[in-house]
Amino acid sequence: MTQDAQQLPGMISGGEPSATRKFDYTVIVWVVLLILLIILVANPIFQLFKESFFVSEDEAGGFTFQNYIDAFETDEYYKPMYITMMLAISVGSISLVVGAVMAWVVSRTDIPCPNLIRNGILASFVTPPFLGAIAWIFLAGQNEGWLNKWIRGLFGLSEEFYLFDIFTMKGVVFAMSLYSFPLVFIVVLAGLNNISSDVEDAANVAGGGTFHTMFSITLPLVAPSLFAGFILAALEAMILFGIPAVLSIPAGQHTMTTQLRAFMVSEDDLLGLASAYAMPMLILAIGMVWTRGIVLGRRGYATVGGKGGQRRPQKLGAWRIPIFILCLIPLVCAIVLPGFALLTTSFMRNLGGGLEWSNFTLWNYHFILTNDAVRVSIYNTILLAIMAATGATIVAAVSAFIAQRKLIKGHQYMGFMATAPIGIPGIVLAVGLFAAYTKQPFVLYGTLWIMFLAYLTKYLPLAYQTANAGLSSIHPELEESCRIMGANRLQVFKDVTVPLFKTAVIASWILVFMPSLRELSASVLLWTTNTKVISVVIVDFYEETLLGPISALGVLLLLITLVAIVAGFRLVGRDFMSSSG
Amino acid sequence: MLKGIIAGLLAVALLSAPVFAADEATMRAAKKEGKITWYSSITLNIAQHICNNFNKKKMGVKCILHRDGSGKLYRRYLQERKGGIYVADVVHTSNLGHFLNLKAKKIITPYKPAGTDNFNPKFVTKDNYWTILRAGVLMPFYNTKKISAKDAPKTYADFLDPKWKGKIVHSHPSYSGFVTNGMINIVNKFGWDYYKKMAKQKPKIVQSAAGGIPLVARGEAWLGAGTTSYSLLKLIQKGEPLKPIVPPAGLALVTSPNGVFTKAPNPNAARVFTDYLFSMETMQLLADYFLYVGNPDVKYPKALPPLNKINLMAIGGAELKKKNKPTRKMFKKLFGV
Repeated sequence: MTQDAQQLPGMISGGEPSATRKFDYTVIVWVVLLILLIILVANPIFQLFKESFFVSEDEAGGFTFQNYIDAFETDEYYKPMYITMMLAISVGSISLVVGAVMAWVVSRTDIPCPNLIRNGILASFVTPPFLGAIAWIFLAGQNEGWLNKWIRGLFGLSEEFYLFDIFTMKGVVFAMSLYSFPLVFIVVLAGLNNISSDVEDAANVAGGGTFHTMFSITLPLVAPSLFAGFILAALEAMILFGIPAVLSIPAGQHTMTTQLRAFMVSEDDLLGLASAYAMPMLILAIGMVWTRGIVLGRRGYATVGGKGGQRRPQKLGAWRIPIFILCLIPLVCAIVLPGFALLTTSFMRNLGGGLEWSNFTLWNYHFILTNDAVRVSIYNTILLAIMAATGATIVAAVSAFIAQRKLIKGHQYMGFMATAPIGIPGIVLAVGLFAAYTKQPFVLYGTLWIMFLAYLTKYLPLAYQTANAGLSSIHPELEESCRIMGANRLQVFKDVTVPLFKTAVIASWILVFMPSLRELSASVLLWTTNTKVISVVIVDFYEETLLGPISALGVLLLLITLVAIVAGFRLVGRDFMSSSG
Repeated sequence: MLKGIIAGLLAVALLSAPVFAADEATMRAAKKEGKITWYSSITLNIAQHICNNFNKKKMGVKCILHRDGSGKLYRRYLQERKGGIYVADVVHTSNLGHFLNLKAKKIITPYKPAGTDNFNPKFVTKDNYWTILRAGVLMPFYNTKKISAKDAPKTYADFLDPKWKGKIVHSHPSYSGFVTNGMINIVNKFGWDYYKKMAKQKPKIVQSAAGGIPLVARGEAWLGAGTTSYSLLKLIQKGEPLKPIVPPAGLALVTSPNGVFTKAPNPNAARVFTDYLFSMETMQLLADYFLYVGNPDVKYPKALPPLNKINLMAIGGAELKKKNKPTRKMFKKLFGV
């Protein structure tokens, strides 16, 4: 084995003497990473592509273009694409405005309790969107929504009157924006923190007021972050499954993700059609990520003074309290109201009853805790989240380390490989994994492994970015001095890098663990009887409209998430959520 | 005195002995297998209740429930079969058409559950590929807090009154075999024109047949176009403000078969479990849940109208098989999802 490894680098790298003299990990590392990339990305996407050209209905199906014709010819399949594009643009724009304004307020002004706002936004970031959507049915249902009833009562209006109707496309846009604007906030905040206040101060000195400075100086400087934030939020709206499944199907409107799932669970074998249907989504998503990369790559011109310059908060004056209240509105809508709605509904005996003690019950909790599927799903959810977080963090840490320390040839491609899956929507990835690993000889379907692969692929880019950002702050001099003292790379890694690197590793672990707890869009196509997860059970229950048990399960899921966050705060400190930049 | 005690003990022993007659060898083999997976489309709480009761028997066989809609269960099984994965042992859905397909491909295997000799002949089959576990009707209903008995629709056509626009909830035939079945009956009677007009009423679309009930119970919708009679009557018993509508044109009868998979990974446990499904205990449980069953000895709740008192619409398996796909397609076309 050692012999092989010594010979191979020479063959591949062109036989530089330095590479062959001592043991080199180049080949092993490359082969392992390549295999991983093939399993996680290349094979599923290839199978997806292949299936899209084959007849799936009968088992000896031949080559065909029919899937593409079916997918794009009929109105009823074409319309979800149009609706999805509209959703993406609307959600992107709303999130951009809300997220950017709040980032500016938190970063640049003397707003009271900026940490409250920041933590609130992070809390909405980790709230499962499908839970938010379900809660908003209780809040803004056209006839029985609490907000509608409250307004009717307040103004003595008739039963027919309603202000909100969550089962509409506007409702979908609203719910999606609530859980997408934190993406803009995080990106723009990072952008703002990179700009020194000097230029803003200069504008102030020259006589510009707070808002004038914001519009003429700050805004242009953070333009790339704004654009990146918009793309992220729009992309999220495009690939989200939970909210449209909850809100737009009852409204009689599919989006691309719900239509894709409808193909996958149809009585007829429509894998080919689903694969063809997934293609535009895949291409669009990758295109969007690519555009974002280009724009962010040019951020150089914005970071004039680096992070160095001092930042002085702008005075908001009389606007201070009104703006603070305005900033609380999205947070109340994203966390406080939904949390309250889920909690109270979870204790209701009759859904037709109200908030009276006579209507109090623990039945919903009893129901979920005695339900086999729920018990299995709790176990699976936690196990999968641990597996995904650990797997992704190990791969990410190793690749980031290699890339940062330029350890092997082609290290500059490490980042590309680890972040290759970044544009692939979860549900598209799931169709690909399904196509790749449900047939002999690689049957992973029916096991937790296929879901592990999905989670690993989905969250690897996030883990990599976090690890990479953390590692870039550790100077290689420390490692180099140990190497000079005679330690080998492994020892240096273990005794020097790892301890310094620990915070970033833990942060990346938690950043994968938390979204894994609520992963839905891939799981919903890959689960089987013994591999259910909580999010899938909630959607399952929703299909039976078991609103009480769903609320109880939602409260449980939020509690688990809360524990993870508190643990994260304890271990890494408050900023771990935004450390990925 | 002693005699009395012994007699009493004997009686208890006799009563608690398994009423289903799996023979010793099957029982031993089933124990070795240890579990049985049931793909079932009956509402989750009933399915789970049956599984829990079965598990409480401590027969050394654990019931694993996989509850989903008829269409999704069918797809899932075929998909798993394609990949050479065999998880499910016993299958129960509301789509007789699927069972015809499964039988044609020999995916299910004949098994006559113990104790079904005296069953209503409509619930058993000659070749024993399946036995009807339960029957119900697709029932329209309304919220009594929102609509008075006087104003409530009396016929199917009444649902098309413009005043109910946006206030109706309708379940999805791609998910629910119960609804597919009911829709075919209604189309047979009134033509697709009825659903074209129904689509104009902009009903909220839920997936499961029983899924409309909570929305109407909350008052979020006021009317349900049709739900499983058993879920509805059970929730009315629980005190939800709901009431069934019995149109003079009749209600669609839906019979839901149960069968054993040929490639069941736990074939003996599958038979033991199937016997349990058709045992007096489960039959009575289903009756208590307002379902009609084949066993003539069960006692039905008073609120459940006897089947022979209802004007019924019914179709056979062959018709269901033929019209299944066109019905789902048409629904998607009319209702958008």
